[in-house]
Amino acid sequence: MMWLLAQEQAPVPTLGIFSAGSVIDFAFVLVLGVIIWIMVARARTGRKIPEIKKIAGLEAVDEAIGRATEMGRPVAFIPGILSVDNPQTLAAFGMVSHIARQCARYDTRFLALNCDPLPYAVIEEITRQAYLEEGRPDAFNPDDIRFLSAEQFAFTGAVIGIFERERPAANIMIGAFYAEAMMLAETGSFQGMIQIGGTAMTAQLPFFVAACDYSLIGEEIYAASAYLSKEPVMYGTVVGQDWMKIVVALLIVVGAVLATVSPDSTFLKDILGGY
Amino acid sequence: MRKEGPMILTVISSLVVVFSTYFFLGQKWNLMEPLNNWFQISYAIALALGFVNLSVIHVKYIQRKREGWFYSIILLLCMYAYLVLGMIETQNGLHFDWIYVNMMSPLSATMFSLVAFFITSAAYRAFRIRTKEATILLVCALFVMLGRAPIGDAIWGSWSAFVSKWVMGTMNVAGMRGINLGIAVGGFATALRIMLGLERAHIGGSGTQ
Repeated sequence: MMWLLAQEQAPVPTLGIFSAGSVIDFAFVLVLGVIIWIMVARARTGRKIPEIKKIAGLEAVDEAIGRATEMGRPVAFIPGILSVDNPQTLAAFGMVSHIARQCARYDTRFLALNCDPLPYAVIEEITRQAYLEEGRPDAFNPDDIRFLSAEQFAFTGAVIGIFERERPAANIMIGAFYAEAMMLAETGSFQGMIQIGGTAMTAQLPFFVAACDYSLIGEEIYAASAYLSKEPVMYGTVVGQDWMKIVVALLIVVGAVLATVSPDSTFLKDILGGY
Repeated sequence: MRKEGPMILTVISSLVVVFSTYFFLGQKWNLMEPLNNWFQISYAIALALGFVNLSVIHVKYIQRKREGWFYSIILLLCMYAYLVLGMIETQNGLHFDWIYVNMMSPLSATMFSLVAFFITSAAYRAFRIRTKEATILLVCALFVMLGRAPIGDAIWGSWSAFVSKWVMGTMNVAGMRGINLGIAVGGFATALRIMLGLERAHIGGSGTQ
């Protein structure tokens, strides 16, 4: 009897190979992959791909570095407080590369302030590489890439202290932030820094909008490295991302129409939830 | 090979994650476990690197007698003393735990409490009526605040709570869900760019291919 019960509870693959409830998710990834592949292929063969809108926050990055250069003060960068397993931290890495290159080019001090040890190690390597590629390996100072604390508010206190003592002229914050977002952005604002804040944590977005000069809202941080690279192939991936949003929006419209026409219908729910 | 090696590791790791997330056999074989273990090991190594970085910077501050160098001594003393205590007592040790609960937690709570003051100054700046958008923001914020405070109820009765609920539950939720939708797709796209090797910033590349 016990053996029979165990047999009944054993998980069964959906459609023979998929884990339960993941068919639609996988299809979503597949469709997104195909759309991005089409756009990348078009860009590689030199065919026209749709334009992407100007993102003011990203256009302002060079302006912020330029201002810091003119004032002879550092540029501060904070990649959020989460580790490398968060996509927002990965998005921050794409920006570090661009900012470090610009700082190396203009001989501006680049301060990267980290709360998590893994992004600290990665950012140090990215910055070292950026200085090397700009032909300025001697200008790279490993002491400016700092691990401050893995504790959220100890990190916040340390950053506020650095802002007060070293007075950066620009502060760029891209990544996952929590309650410290408001404190960091406000301190930067008190110091008169030019600030660019970007996060996909929706609860912290209003704070960046209120306290920063420019803000990158949600998905804009994921487009950052592609946007700053100005490479058609990378632009293609962002266009693919936009096409996928159109697909999702169409699904929402279909769902809304079905829910209005036939409120009791579970047609779409059965398809999306059943697999 | 300096760049190809990490790139190959990235592709293999991401394929393992995809296989163990979406496919039945991946979950059955528990392929994520070794990856998670490696993540913990990498984290511990990186933490040691961070520890060294912090020590080097503060030793330099002390050597150069930089302004506030005394605080660097306190930081180094606390850091090393807590490390040694943790190694002796392990993480569940009586004194190790006592220091965290009675010193670290209240200090963190104190820092967190400062958020209220920062929010006040930011709200003042955001709500100044300078543009049409700022005016709309101010009016909405007033309705939401009055709807959630007893004074709103005293002035307009249940009407203020209704408006507050409508602003938060309809206007705010619609906007937030739109943003969340973009975030989800953006996250997928970023993961795919890394998997396909188009984005290489994380391995010390110039950010793109």
